[in-house]
Amino acid sequence: MTAIAQNDLEQVESKPKKRTASAFQRVFKYSAARLASLLFSVIVAIFLTIIIANMGGYVDELRMGEIRETVVQAARANVAYRALPPDQFQALVETQIQEQAHVEGLDRPFLLRALNYMKNALTLNLGNAVRMTSDTGSKQVRLIILERLPPTLLLWGVSGFLLFFVEIGVALSLSRQYGSWLDKLFVTMAPLSTTPGWFFGIFLILIFASFLRVLPFGGMVDAPVPDNTLDYSLSLAKHLILPTLALTLSQVFLQIYNWRTFFLIYSSEDYVEIAKAKGLSDKAIERNYVLRPTLPSIITNFALTLIALWLGGPITETIFNWPGLGRAFYEAVQFYDTPVILGQTVIYAYLLAFTVFLLDYLYALVDPRVKIGGGSQP
Amino acid sequence: MSRKLLFTLAAVFVIASLILGACSPSATATATQAPTEEPSATESPAATEAPTEEPTATTRTGAWVDEIIFTSIDEVPNAVAQIQADQLDLYAFLAEDPDTFALVKEDASLAFSNSYGSWDSILFNDAEFNNGKLNPFSNPKIREATNWLVDRDYVVQEALGGLGDARYVPILAAFPDYARYADLVRPLENKYAYNLEKADAVISAEMEGMGAAKNADGKWTFNGEPVVIIGLIRSEDEREIIGNYFCDQLEKIGFTCDRQVRTRTELAPIWQQGVVENGEFHFYTAGNFWPNLLRDEGSGFLQNFCPDVAGTTTEAAFTCVDELHAASQALYTNNFKNMDERRAFFATALPLSLENSSYMPIVNPISFFPRKADLIVASDLSAGVGGSTLWPYTIRWAGKEGGTVRSANSGILTGPWNPIAGHNWIQELNLIYATQDVGAFADPYTGLYWPQRLEKSDVKVLEGTPISKTLDWVSLEFVPEIKVPADAWVDWNGETQTFVTAGEKYPDGLTAKSVTTTTYPADMFEKITYHDGSPLSVADFVLLMIMQFDTCDPKSAIYDETNVPNCDTFKSHFKGVRIVSTDPLVIEHYDDTVSLDAEVQAGAIGGSQPGGANNWFPVTATGPLAWHTFVPAYLAEANSELAFSTNKSTALGVEWTNYISGPSLEIMKKHLDEAQGESLIPYAATLGQFISKEDVQARYENLQKWYADHNHFWVGTGIFYIDEVNAVEGSVVAKRFEDFPDPADKWSRFGEPKLAVVDVSGPAEVSLSGEATFDAFVSFKDEAYPQSEIDQVSFLLYDAEGNLVLSGLASAAADGQYSITLSAEQLSKLTAGSAKIEFVVSSKLVAIPTFASLEFVVVP
Repeated sequence: MTAIAQNDLEQVESKPKKRTASAFQRVFKYSAARLASLLFSVIVAIFLTIIIANMGGYVDELRMGEIRETVVQAARANVAYRALPPDQFQALVETQIQEQAHVEGLDRPFLLRALNYMKNALTLNLGNAVRMTSDTGSKQVRLIILERLPPTLLLWGVSGFLLFFVEIGVALSLSRQYGSWLDKLFVTMAPLSTTPGWFFGIFLILIFASFLRVLPFGGMVDAPVPDNTLDYSLSLAKHLILPTLALTLSQVFLQIYNWRTFFLIYSSEDYVEIAKAKGLSDKAIERNYVLRPTLPSIITNFALTLIALWLGGPITETIFNWPGLGRAFYEAVQFYDTPVILGQTVIYAYLLAFTVFLLDYLYALVDPRVKIGGGSQP
Repeated sequence: MSRKLLFTLAAVFVIASLILGACSPSATATATQAPTEEPSATESPAATEAPTEEPTATTRTGAWVDEIIFTSIDEVPNAVAQIQADQLDLYAFLAEDPDTFALVKEDASLAFSNSYGSWDSILFNDAEFNNGKLNPFSNPKIREATNWLVDRDYVVQEALGGLGDARYVPILAAFPDYARYADLVRPLENKYAYNLEKADAVISAEMEGMGAAKNADGKWTFNGEPVVIIGLIRSEDEREIIGNYFCDQLEKIGFTCDRQVRTRTELAPIWQQGVVENGEFHFYTAGNFWPNLLRDEGSGFLQNFCPDVAGTTTEAAFTCVDELHAASQALYTNNFKNMDERRAFFATALPLSLENSSYMPIVNPISFFPRKADLIVASDLSAGVGGSTLWPYTIRWAGKEGGTVRSANSGILTGPWNPIAGHNWIQELNLIYATQDVGAFADPYTGLYWPQRLEKSDVKVLEGTPISKTLDWVSLEFVPEIKVPADAWVDWNGETQTFVTAGEKYPDGLTAKSVTTTTYPADMFEKITYHDGSPLSVADFVLLMIMQFDTCDPKSAIYDETNVPNCDTFKSHFKGVRIVSTDPLVIEHYDDTVSLDAEVQAGAIGGSQPGGANNWFPVTATGPLAWHTFVPAYLAEANSELAFSTNKSTALGVEWTNYISGPSLEIMKKHLDEAQGESLIPYAATLGQFISKEDVQARYENLQKWYADHNHFWVGTGIFYIDEVNAVEGSVVAKRFEDFPDPADKWSRFGEPKLAVVDVSGPAEVSLSGEATFDAFVSFKDEAYPQSEIDQVSFLLYDAEGNLVLSGLASAAADGQYSITLSAEQLSKLTAGSAKIEFVVSSKLVAIPTFASLEFVVVP
C-alpha cells in the first residue's frame, strides 16, 4: 500500500466510533429516500411506456382496423360465405369483429386497461401477449422474454465484455503513449464509430460468408442443431464471430478514444506527478493513481453495459438472424403488442433502478471520499 | 507479437475488409443494376427455369429426398446469397424484389418458380363530402377516366422492375376466368390503355360540370380553394411507388395531392372504419393475395363495386348501377343456369365495372421463389412453392434419389400448431403440408383437384346447376331432386355426444342441392399409417365430422363461443353426411354449396370449419387430425389448461394449444398418461362404435413412444414427419416417412408448369378483297404441344384503332399447329391501315393463357 493510500485509510478509520449509529441512520434514511425516488421513477417510466406504447389509446383504433381487415378478407375468401344473403354476411362479419375486439379487451375503456397494465407491470405479472407468441408457441410474455434472453445475453455479453476489457486495456496503454503513431491512429479511427454495428455486419457477412464462405451468414447454431454439447458449443462460437466482431468494431475506436482521454486527464493530476517524482513504477502509478480514482466511472460503465444487455439490438440481431430480445422488442412494437413492450421495459426499469441504487454503495466502497447520504469529501 | 504490431494489423485488417467488401460481387440487396425486362405473363408466360429432366422409373416410395431442414431467413437477397454460397437450397417464401430476381435469372446455378396470385389497386372514396369540399371521385366518370391516367406498363417497370403485369379488370390473368373471357377482357384493355390527354379532357369536363375551375396556376379549385386529393399510400411495398405515381399523374392534370404515406396498421382506421363523408381521404392503395388458384372469380364484382358485402365503410358507400348490381349478384351467388349465362353476366359486369371504377386494378406483381438449379419442386401458380400442397411430394434433386434439402421461409414456427384452430400463416402451412396427407390435391397449375388418397368421387347435382367436369376420376350427374337420407348426420348433440340424424331433425324430409359420394380404396386402412405407426381408421374421419359441430355446442367441454359464427355458416349450407360403408370406406356428403367444377366439389377443403372437405379425409385447414393425438389436447382444454383457438386461450388466460413445442407439451403429456391409464375413447358414445379397446391401447402406446423419441405430438400421415424441433434456434428437421405407401414419382409430372409458347406467322400485307391465313405454332420447350392437352386456341382480330372486330376459334391441323383463315367478308370489318391478329392459347394443364400477336397491313 502506498503512503498516500495508507494516509487515506487512516483518515477513514480515525472516525469516531460513536458516530456508527448515526451513520446507520443516515444510510437507512438515504436508502429509503433513494428507493422511494427510484420507485417513483419506475412508475413514471412504466406509465409513460403504457401511454406511448398505446399512443394514448390510438392503438385501439389501429387494432380495430387490423381486426376488421383480417376478418373481412377471411370472410371474402371463404366460399361458404357466398351462400349467405348480404345482410347476414355483414352481420356475421360485424359479430366476428366485435368478438375479436372483446377477446382483446378493446371494448373496455383504455384508461381502465392502462391501470390494469400498470398494476400488472409493477407486480411483474407480465401476463399474455396480445398477438405475439414465443418461439415455442407460448403467449406468456415471461416465456417470450425468457426464451430470447440467453441468446441476447450471449451475443451482447460476449461483445460487451470483449469491448469493455479491450477498450480499458488499450486506452490505458495509449494514455502512456500519448502522441505516438498508434495513439494518433486510434484517434483517427474514432469517427468510424459513427457507423452502427449492423452496417459493419453487412460488410462482414459479405466478406466472410458470401465471398470467402468461411463463416455462416447468420443464425445462432447450425441447422440441424448439433446433438452433443461440444459440437453445439463450437457451432455457437462459429456463429458468434461475425456479430461480435461487428458490434465490437462499431464501438471500440470511440470507446478507446474516450477512455484514453479520460485516463490522460487523470494521468496529469498533481498526485500522479508526485508519484512519478517519487520514482514509482508505471504499473503502480497506473493501478493506484490512475485506475483507482477512475474506478467509479469504470464501474458505472461496466454496470450499465451489463444491464444494456437486456435490450439487445433489433437491427444487428435481424441482420445476423440472431434470436434475441432486440428482435422480439422490435416485433412487439410493430405489432403494438403492449404486454410484451411493457414486459421488457418494466424489467429494464427495475434493473436500471436497482443498478443505480447499488452503484451508490459501490462508489462508497471503492472511493473513500464518497459517503452515503453525506455527499463526497474533498 | 508486440501490442503495437497487433493493433496495426487489426487496423489494416479492418480497412482491407471495408475495401474488399466494397469490391465483392454484388450478391445482396445492394445490387443496383437495372432489372432486365420481364415478359408480361399475359403476353408470354415466364417459363420457370427448372431442370427438364423427367424422373427415371423408381421403386422408391414416399419422398424423393431423405430429409428437409427448415430455417428462417427474413430477406430474399440474403436467401439468394445463401443459395449462391451453398448454405441453402430453396427459399419457399414469396419474393418480389426485382433486383434480386435479376440476379437469380443471371445466375445459371439458380432456378426459380413464379406465382401470380397478388394484385395492387386504387380504391376510391366514392362518397360526397360533408365538409363543403369537392370529392371528384364521387363522380363515376372521373373514376373511369383515371384508368386513362395511369400508364400501367410504366408502373410495371417503375414499381415492379418489370416483374409484374398490367391489370385492368378484377380477374387475374393467371386464373381460368381470364382465359375463358379473354375476348371480353382484351378489348377493354385496349379501350382503357394509357391516354393522358383523354383522361385530362374527360376529367376537366366533369370537374367543370361539378362547379370546379382551374386557377391561374392551372390548379383545380372549388369555391376558391384548391382541390386537394388526399391519397392514403401504403409504405411497406411497391404500393408506395404506385401511390406516388398516381399522385404525380393527378398533379399533371391540375390536382393538388396530399400524400399520406403510412403503414397498413396506421391507414386501416381511416379507410376501413372512418366516416367516409368526412373527406379524410380520396383514395387508398389497396393490395391483395389469393392463397389458392381460384377457378371462379365471379365474386369480385359484388365485393369491389357494390355495397352488398362491404366490410369497410368505404365499400359500404359504393354505388353500382342496377345492371352491374344484378350481374354481380348473380356471379357472386352462382345464380345462373349454365356457363353461357355466366359468360353473359361477365360480358355485362366487365365493362360496367370499368365504368364504375370504385376499385381500379393496376398491376399483378409476380412473385418468385429461388432455388438451386438442380432442385425440382412443384409451385402453385397462385401460392408459389410455400403454399403448394404438392411441394413435399415433388421435391427432389435432379437425377438423384435421397439427399437433404435446406429450405428457408420468412419466419419459422410463428405460432402454435394444432389441427383444430392452430396458427395458419403460410410459413407454418409450408411445413405442415409436408406432414399431412389429403383426400385430393389441388392441381398447382389449374386449380382442379386430383385424387390422392381417395379412389373416386361421384357428384350429383340438381338439374340446371352450372357445374362441369374435366377429369375422369370424378363422375357428374344431374338429377331432379336430392333427398337427404333419414339416417344421415345433420347436427350434433354436445350433451349426449351423438349425431342428430336427418330423420330426427327433419321428420318431413330434407333436400340438398348436391351430394358427393367419395369412395376410398379397400386397402386404405391397411396401407396408411400415422407417423407413430398407428393405422388410419374410420374413427379419424368421424372425429373430423364431430369437429364441425362440437366446439360450437355450449354443452361441449371444448365450447368456443368465438367459433359459433363459423359453425352457423357451415350449417347454413351443410345438409348431411352419411357413412355408407366402412370397408371400403364410402361417404356421402350433402350440401347446398356447389362449385363450378365437379373436381373442386369433390376435393376442396370447403366450409368455414376446420377441414370440412366434402371427402372428409382427416385433415383440417391447420393440420392432420388423429383421434389419439387429439385426446390429450381435448382433455387439457376441458380442464381449462389449454385452448385450441387463440381467442379462447386469450379469454381463459391459458396457453394456445401447441402440439409441436412449448409449455403445451408437458400439459398434453400429463393428459396422455391420464387417457392411457383410463383407456379413454373420446366421444365414446359415437366414436366407441369405431374404436376397439385394443386400438385404444395401441394408439396411446404408439403416441407415448413417439413423444419419447421426438418430444412433440405432431403426428400425421404425410410424406415427411417432424423429427426435430429447435424453436429458439429456429430450425425444424423433417425426415422421409418410410411407411408412406405411394411411389415417389406419383406426382412428378407437376415438377414444372407446361406453359405454352406461341409463334404466329402470316402475311405482312392483306387485301380487303382477298383471304388471309394465319398460323400459330404452339409448343413447350420446342416440342409441339399435344392437341389433347389444349383446351382451345382462339383468335382476336383488331382494327387500326385497337377495336376488336372479330373473334373465334382457330382450327387444329396437327399437334401444335393451329390456323385461321379469314374470308373477304371477315376482312371487310377492317379498314385500310395496320391491323393485328392475336392468338389466345388455353391449355388444359395450366390456367395461364398464352397470347401472341402479329401485326399486318390491310390494303384496299
